[in-house]
Amino acid sequence: MSVQSPPALNQAPPQASPASRESAQPPAGGAPGRRFDRALAALRHTPGQLRGLLAVLVALLLGAGITGMTSILAKSAVIEETTSQSGRLSVAALQLYQALSQADATAASSYLTAGTPSDEMNQTYREAMRDATVALTTAAGEVKTAEDAQLVAELNTRLPVYTGLVESARTFNRLGQPVGATYQEQASTLMREEMLPAAHELQDNALGQLSESRSGAEAFPWVAAALAAAALVTLLWAQVWLSRKTNRVFNLGLVGATILLVGFAGWLAMASLTSANHTNRSHEDGAKPLALLAQAEISAQQARAEESLLLIARGEDAGAAERYATHMEELVASGGLLDQLNAAFADDPDLADAVDTARQATETWSAGHSEVVKLATEGRYTDAVELAVGEEEGSLSTSFNALNASLTEATDVSAERFTEATADARRALSGAAAGLAALALLALIGTAVGIQMRVAEYYA
Amino acid sequence: MNQHRDHAPRRRTARLAAACALAGLLAACAGPANIEPPQVDVPTPLPSGIDFDPEVAASTPDTSCDPLASYAPGTVTAEQAIADLDDDGQIAIGVSQSTNLMSYRDPQTNRLEGFDIDIARAVAEALLGPDVTIQWVPMTSGDRVTFLQEDRVDLVVRTMSINCERWNDIEFSAEYFRAGQRLLVAKDSGIDEVADLTADHSVCTGATSTSGGNIAAANDQVQQVTVPDFNDCLLLLQQGTVDAISTDDTILAGMAVQDPTLHIVGDTFSVESYGIGVQQGNTDLARFVNGALEDLIADGTWKTSYDEWLKVPLGTDANAPTAVYRD
Repeated sequence: MSVQSPPALNQAPPQASPASRESAQPPAGGAPGRRFDRALAALRHTPGQLRGLLAVLVALLLGAGITGMTSILAKSAVIEETTSQSGRLSVAALQLYQALSQADATAASSYLTAGTPSDEMNQTYREAMRDATVALTTAAGEVKTAEDAQLVAELNTRLPVYTGLVESARTFNRLGQPVGATYQEQASTLMREEMLPAAHELQDNALGQLSESRSGAEAFPWVAAALAAAALVTLLWAQVWLSRKTNRVFNLGLVGATILLVGFAGWLAMASLTSANHTNRSHEDGAKPLALLAQAEISAQQARAEESLLLIARGEDAGAAERYATHMEELVASGGLLDQLNAAFADDPDLADAVDTARQATETWSAGHSEVVKLATEGRYTDAVELAVGEEEGSLSTSFNALNASLTEATDVSAERFTEATADARRALSGAAAGLAALALLALIGTAVGIQMRVAEYYA
Repeated sequence: MNQHRDHAPRRRTARLAAACALAGLLAACAGPANIEPPQVDVPTPLPSGIDFDPEVAASTPDTSCDPLASYAPGTVTAEQAIADLDDDGQIAIGVSQSTNLMSYRDPQTNRLEGFDIDIARAVAEALLGPDVTIQWVPMTSGDRVTFLQEDRVDLVVRTMSINCERWNDIEFSAEYFRAGQRLLVAKDSGIDEVADLTADHSVCTGATSTSGGNIAAANDQVQQVTVPDFNDCLLLLQQGTVDAISTDDTILAGMAVQDPTLHIVGDTFSVESYGIGVQQGNTDLARFVNGALEDLIADGTWKTSYDEWLKVPLGTDANAPTAVYRD
């Protein structure tokens, strides 16, 4: 057997493949035609049939093994990508958007503080600027399209212009010169009209790429599964056929191959389904709420910036009031961001409290804002500023900070869930590629050994 | 990298690395697709609503009335004037919060200060006593007539020029300050008067003001740029986007004191007579205000305030204009 099996294995593919090629293409000369006839003749005898069967099984098992392995590898790569490339890009774009909104809100409200802004405000502004530049750097390293590269470049060129305007505003303010307010307004205009839209577009693009990747990671490996099923059916039929031909019930090689193949199919299905389930969970419990929370925080920051601008403009900018109303509406409107958060998390023990606090804080803030506007239009400007950006218990800073803190808390929980689910998805696939390849290879060997044993009996 | 295809591999790698380093943050070399370096215009921050090509018609003097003739104080009493207010105890006065020197919030104290504020406070104290509660209502220049018509303020003291068109909708006090339109330019600009402005120059004015029409009448060459809030003009001049600002000299003075590299040049090419706006029909209040203006000019309040806010920035000494009455 050891002498005869190698030729059998070697002969099997040439027997099968020229046959199929011949059928598609008429013989060009005598020799291939004769070989085709010989193969057909061989198939009329049992050893030839056995070799033909082996060839089919080898092809099916190889196909199943290779497609199974590659689909798992592709899935891992996609999951890797969601946590690295497009994942990192979307996270960076989101952080950039958040940090820019926060920087603008802080710069505007710290401008309003009579005299010099508090250390805390300075610190918040600097941290937001740092977060924005780090996020921008990360995004720059992850962009894959010319459009995204353009957006990153535009943001990069505008960031120093923005900080320059803010610093000019602060300097003029320190010198007691009212033109500082104009610089602060222009900084906010640059942020509102050019930078935030670019950051938003970058985020949209990244989320689009992420969602494409996710459908890839969740897809079931149908080709591998179909090939494995075909191999299994052929294997089972081969055993029935062999037992009739040879009057022996079991062929150990084929039985082993069958068991291995069942294991292969089970592992493939389970790994794919579990991983898809975790990937889906990472989206539903992680990415989706993260995007929602970030959107809420961004709307809040932008509303806050407009609230400050309203006062900074000293009655000269009617647009600020409208823009404040728009952003506040995004939060509190029926079906708005807070409603969506509530619908998603009202039953979630880890997040219900945070979402509830966010709503209460927003309501307090919104009510206080009307008071600020009333004071400002009545000419009680100092009181209006004090209520808007002062550090007392009842000031709007307090409710705005409470809103922010609760959103941050919910964001932390969601981010943790996202990381966990992605790690689970990756774990479900760990070893699957190598394991599936090994199972397919062993099934192949089992099949070859089993059939070769029967072939050998004819020549014994 | 194609042109380097013939070089030794190691050299090529080095060049590729150098190119990647040059490409900097845009990981074009790491990504699957080779992304072209983005093209970005030089970012120029601009105020929202700026118009680089406004339609400005040269203004012509309106002679349909004698705008400066107001109501003589006569014997009207404070009680009669107070009857014109909505609330006996307090008075609502429309002001600017952003016109440096005339009427602005001091950035350090957030208090309202300036020449207009001094005048308004003196008039309110004459009317309602030294402990008067003044409701300062911030407004834009476009709000001045409408706020009076809508009864949201009793008086407007906001660098408001008396003219015949406005007389149709509101009453005016006598003239309490005479301003004129001039130019604010950089000291090294070589521009000394409005005639020096050429088609290559751009001059910034407020979108809702009459300044643009006055410039067009004085110089039809210069390119005009309008912004919704004239304060943006100072920023545009400092950033080099425009070459000059033109509006009332009082407002220009408020800008000039914030930047030692700028100065006001040329003769005035318009006359802006500031009056206090009063709701139409409240002639008793207008008469009382005129009486109060006469008093505050006579007792030196006017002069003190002028010296404090405007004498140095405008570079001239001045006295209050003489009131003209129609009856």
